[in-house]
Formats: sequence, structure tokens, C-alpha cells
Amino acid sequence: MLQHVNVNIDGANIRAVRGTSVLDAAIEYGICIPHLCHVPYLPDIGACRLCIVEHVVNGRSNVTTSCTLNVEEGMVILTNTDKIRQLRRNLAELLVAQAPNSRAIQDIALRCGVKEVRYPFRNEDCVLCGRCVRVCTEVWRARAIGFVGRGKERHVDYPFGIRPEFCKQCGNCVQVCPMTIPPCDGPMKPGEEYLCGKCESQLMLADETPDHCVWCKLGEGFTCGRYVQ
Amino acid sequence: MPSQTLEQILEGRRSQPNQLIEVLQDIQANYGYISEEAMQVVSKGLGVPVMEVYRVASFYTAFRLKPSGKNVLTMCMGTACHVRGARLLLDQATGQLGVKPREVTPDGLFSIDHVNCLGACALGPIVTENGTYHHHMTPGKLRKLIGTLSHQAVEGK
Repeated sequence: MLQHVNVNIDGANIRAVRGTSVLDAAIEYGICIPHLCHVPYLPDIGACRLCIVEHVVNGRSNVTTSCTLNVEEGMVILTNTDKIRQLRRNLAELLVAQAPNSRAIQDIALRCGVKEVRYPFRNEDCVLCGRCVRVCTEVWRARAIGFVGRGKERHVDYPFGIRPEFCKQCGNCVQVCPMTIPPCDGPMKPGEEYLCGKCESQLMLADETPDHCVWCKLGEGFTCGRYVQ
Repeated sequence: MPSQTLEQILEGRRSQPNQLIEVLQDIQANYGYISEEAMQVVSKGLGVPVMEVYRVASFYTAFRLKPSGKNVLTMCMGTACHVRGARLLLDQATGQLGVKPREVTPDGLFSIDHVNCLGACALGPIVTENGTYHHHMTPGKLRKLIGTLSHQAVEGK
């Protein structure tokens, strides 16, 4: 028997299943909280920090990731305050600077209202969201890939850099990777740290309905919780 | 020579994943570094996936994954040493030996390491050579030190 709790997200009273995360409850209700590392069938680790929300307790608000925050009775959550938008835009900018050549990252940046990136571009192929590592560890129990190193040397690798025998090459790690989605025609290049005209034309949509799920293309690309449910 | 073999280190700790770091520390102390083979044995012995062993071993700078040189030069990169020019010392050592930090020279004589603090800030910049502290280091003194050490190694042969 499912137990339910009443949660207030952005002023809407939501009856959510006990034990689910705030992010899941919000997505189910149609409130858009941008997210990247969250995959519905995997345990959440809060790596990308994009799904930050304000959790109001006794009139004070804590900024925390909604994917690792479980719903509780009488919870008050704000997903779209100025403070959150600003923080989220900054996070999205950092993601774009790290790996600009992915449609998923570009879409997230768009959704978070990034108009200009203030950081130097690194043009890496990984944002360390940990989706591949988690799918390998949690779903297939293979542990054929994992994080290696520390700090700025942290990267995803096989043990000792060689594909182990027990890796069946199932390809799930590639499937969940947000970097595998080809970038749009006008990807951001070093020296041109702004959105191309195509994305900019869609900014209106993100500006007008920042807190509603508009079934954006973003979700299609990297399995937004909405598309899987 | 290692005083304890891998079997001895693992003795009494088998199938206890929580002993992973202690086991790795013991291997590091006995062999000077942690080899791939050792990690495979540890993985089997403790019942920890090999990825997990590798992840932990690569995360902590206290664990070396490659053998160190005969002379280990450790540069202190702490705040006090940094403001007194520790960066110059590191540049001097890397330039003179032609290797990057945490690497070994091709002849196996030297390896360079950098740590965040050696705990003797008043004497900085500090360089330790196989555990011996050299205080108030300058690039010139360091060049002579490396020169003497490589001379000793040549004569020792």
C-alpha cells in the first residue's frame, strides 16, 4: 500500500508517494526542474547540481539538490526563485564551458537561460555526471568502469585502463551518456562564447515558462524523467 | 626487500572489504608502490571489485601506482613554502631531471613528488630527499643536491 504525503512545490499542493524524491514528484506533476545526472531507474547521487531547489524550513531556505531530497509531509519547496535561477544558470554555464559540443548540454543551458558563457571553454568530452558508472554498477553489477583519480584528474576509466573480460560491451554506458547526442548545427566554439541564433530563438520559451515542463527536446535526448514515465 | 608478502598482509583480513585501505597502506609500506597484480590479488582476497580497488588507490595521493626512484625528492607546496618560491624549486627539479612530478627518471634514480605541507613551515621552502629534510632551499642548492646524489649513485655502482 503506497503511502502519500502532501508537499507544496512552487505553491502547488502535490500528493506525492512517500519515499520518492522531490525531483520525481515535481516532474510527475509537470513542474520542470532541469536535471542532468538523474536517471529514473538509477539511485541519485546529486552530481550535476542542476536540480537545486530552495527547501523552506521555518522561514529559512536551504539550497539543496532535489534529486537527493525525499518528500516529507508539509514540505515547502521553491524551484524557481531568482536565487535558484541565478545559481542554476551559473552551473549550466560551467557545464557548457566543460563540454559545449553536446546537444544535451546545450539544451540544458538553454533551459536554464544561459545567454553568454563567462568561462573559458575546455571542450572536454565528459562532464563527470556519473551516469555511465552508475548504470554499470547498479543495473548490471558489472563495475567495469568507474571514476579514477581525484580533483581535476578525475575521469571515467576501466580498471588499469584496459577493458576487463567481464565487460560484455552491452553499450548501456554509451546509451545514457549525455555527450553522445550530436550537437546542433551551430555549436559553441572557443572564442565564440555565446548561443547561436537557433538556440537564442528558443530562449523565449524558456523565459516565458521557466517552471513548466514543456516537453522540450532536451528530455528526449537524455531520457528526462518525463519521457521515461 | 619486502618484509611481508601479499599473502601475509592479507592474512586474517580476507573477505573484509572494510580493510581495503589498511591493506593498501601495508602493501605501499612493504613494496613502495601498489602494482596492478597486487590490486588484483587484493580484489580477490577482500572480495572487492577490482574497479573499486583501483578507484581507491588512484584517489589517494598517499598511494603510488608506479615504483618510485632510488632517491625520492619531495617538494613542499604548502602556503608558506609556496610564497617563498616552491614553484621555482619544482621547476628546477623537473627541468634538471626531465620528468614530471610523480614520475621516475628513465635510469630509475630520481622521482619527484609534491605534497601540500611537510609541517615545517618556518623552515621553508622545504625539500626532503628520502626522508631527510633540507630547509631554506633555493634552486641553486637543489641543483647541487641533485648533482651530488647522482654522483653518489654513479660512484656507488
